[in-house]
Amino acid sequence: MKRHLQVLLLVLSGIGLLHACLFSDLYLRYVKEQMRPMLIASGVVLVLLGVASAALDRRGHGGGSHHGHDHGHGQDGHDHDHGNGHGNGHDGHDHSGVPRVAWLLFLPALSLLVYAPPALGAYTASREAPKAVARQSDFDPLPATSPLPITLSDFTRRVQQDRELAIKGREVRMTGFVTPAKGGGWDLTRIIISCCAADAQSVKVRVHGGPALPANTWVAVTGTWHPQGALGTRSAVAALDARTVSKVEQPVNAYTDDLPLVPSRNP
Amino acid sequence: MHRADGLAEEAGAVTVTAAAPVVTAGAEAGAGLEAGAGAGRGRLRFWMVLALGAVTLLDVVFFVARGWSDTPAVQAWRTVCLAITMQAMPFLLLGTALSGAINAFVPARVFTRMLPKRPALAVPVAGIAGVVLPGCECASVPVANSLIGRGVTPAAAFAFLLSAPAVNPVVLTATAIAFPGDPAMVLARLLASLAASAVMGWLWLWLGREEWLRPAVRHSGHQEGHSRWDEFRRGFQYDFLHAGGFLVVGAMAAATFNVAVPRSVLDTFSGSTWLSVLFLAGLAVLLAVCSEADAFVAASLTGFSPLARLTFIVVGPMVDLKLIALQAGTFGRPFAVRFSAATMVVAVLCSVLIGGFLL
Repeated sequence: MKRHLQVLLLVLSGIGLLHACLFSDLYLRYVKEQMRPMLIASGVVLVLLGVASAALDRRGHGGGSHHGHDHGHGQDGHDHDHGNGHGNGHDGHDHSGVPRVAWLLFLPALSLLVYAPPALGAYTASREAPKAVARQSDFDPLPATSPLPITLSDFTRRVQQDRELAIKGREVRMTGFVTPAKGGGWDLTRIIISCCAADAQSVKVRVHGGPALPANTWVAVTGTWHPQGALGTRSAVAALDARTVSKVEQPVNAYTDDLPLVPSRNP
Repeated sequence: MHRADGLAEEAGAVTVTAAAPVVTAGAEAGAGLEAGAGAGRGRLRFWMVLALGAVTLLDVVFFVARGWSDTPAVQAWRTVCLAITMQAMPFLLLGTALSGAINAFVPARVFTRMLPKRPALAVPVAGIAGVVLPGCECASVPVANSLIGRGVTPAAAFAFLLSAPAVNPVVLTATAIAFPGDPAMVLARLLASLAASAVMGWLWLWLGREEWLRPAVRHSGHQEGHSRWDEFRRGFQYDFLHAGGFLVVGAMAAATFNVAVPRSVLDTFSGSTWLSVLFLAGLAVLLAVCSEADAFVAASLTGFSPLARLTFIVVGPMVDLKLIALQAGTFGRPFAVRFSAATMVVAVLCSVLIGGFLL
């Protein structure tokens, strides 16, 4: 790989990262929010490395010979001699001979800059068993607001583990996207990641009585628990009798089961 | 479902064919060294290649944009692939910067003084020293390579390579958070990882052969008459581009398995204890989850016994697809194949033995 191309590759990778993390929220489709400072730092380092490589090699070019390549080559020979001089038996490998595998780094860089893939959605969620919710023994009393904003995990926990049955008869409001279920109907879904999109897991709540919606539509659903199984035990199914279903913007923090950061437009 | 599966496999096939010539590219790298004879011809060839590359890329992008890329399977594949690459990028940069710095600034005698003279003793010491590298497995490969270049005995460097991603405080904290109220899991992970890395180091002393290793050509240390900063910058750049390319190969392979094999298949294996241990060990290799996240994934595999989950988090940081790709690129393929296979066996045995006592 030629030096110019190495410079181009480093700078493009850096700009790609900065574009995804500093100038937009693209990175949230792939990794956790906490990665942001590290990714920005990486972008800056890559750009600096590329610029340094370009600037220093040009300087070497000016002070050396007429031909940049000849100069670089001369240095190869230099390193080579050194290696042999020390009896290491190296075969004249220096840093300008970056293997062709490095070309592959253009793919993520250009992908981020030109054609970033969307966040994981219904396709992934439909192929995975729902994430098991964490055990919880003590439940605080629910706030009196109605409809009560609640996360899908919290709702599932309340339905399956809360002996006090505080959720009974309460109207709740949850936000997620639509994953078509196998036997018709759909699940309200959230994908949760703990580090990056490769470890995605999903929580799902079956919605009864809602309109048919295309996959990956983000909606806010209000309704009450759909009685099925004994409430407060593991036999209870996390399902909702929908009263209203309204489309919302996809929240910025799509890969969490938090309450959405973006206020929905039709409350 | 059938249609989607077909597409996922198709995506897999595309990756494999794309990756195949690339893996061999490492061996051909030497050929790339022969630069153009005249600067003019070189310049011309450079621009031609650039133009050709740009046109091909645009073609690919448009083909991709129009055609199959809009199917959910391919989109999910690209998302996971990009996610693994992005997730690993800061750690890879950290590791390659560290490796460049070790090469340029640290004299070889520092390591010979720090480590015990006898290799058999140096191995466990190096394994425990893995505690100091806070990061995931991508950082440890280039660092281990530069350690070998600085005169550290390969066995000790490999013990460090295997233990560093599993026993550092960041990863252990993540494990404690993922398994609340279960400190035995953290302890078991620490001990099993240290044991497996030490055993692998000793195994290398016993059976390992130098010729399996590609000579660490670039890490010849500081040369008289060169600027240390310049050496650092060049080493950093070379290592990053080199390891980065292999990281993309590994990410592609892992994304293929991630998308092609739905997680719901797992439940069929959770019944038998022994089968589930082996199955989760295999899954750790295929999923290539970062060592800082694998505890959360393990915690979510609720159908499996704690022993199987321990195996998952012990094997994961030591052997996985992106690591095998990185090792093949750094140390050569003959090494990567033997080393990964042996590590897999040793890691499973260590986690079964230690997990059997503690869990």
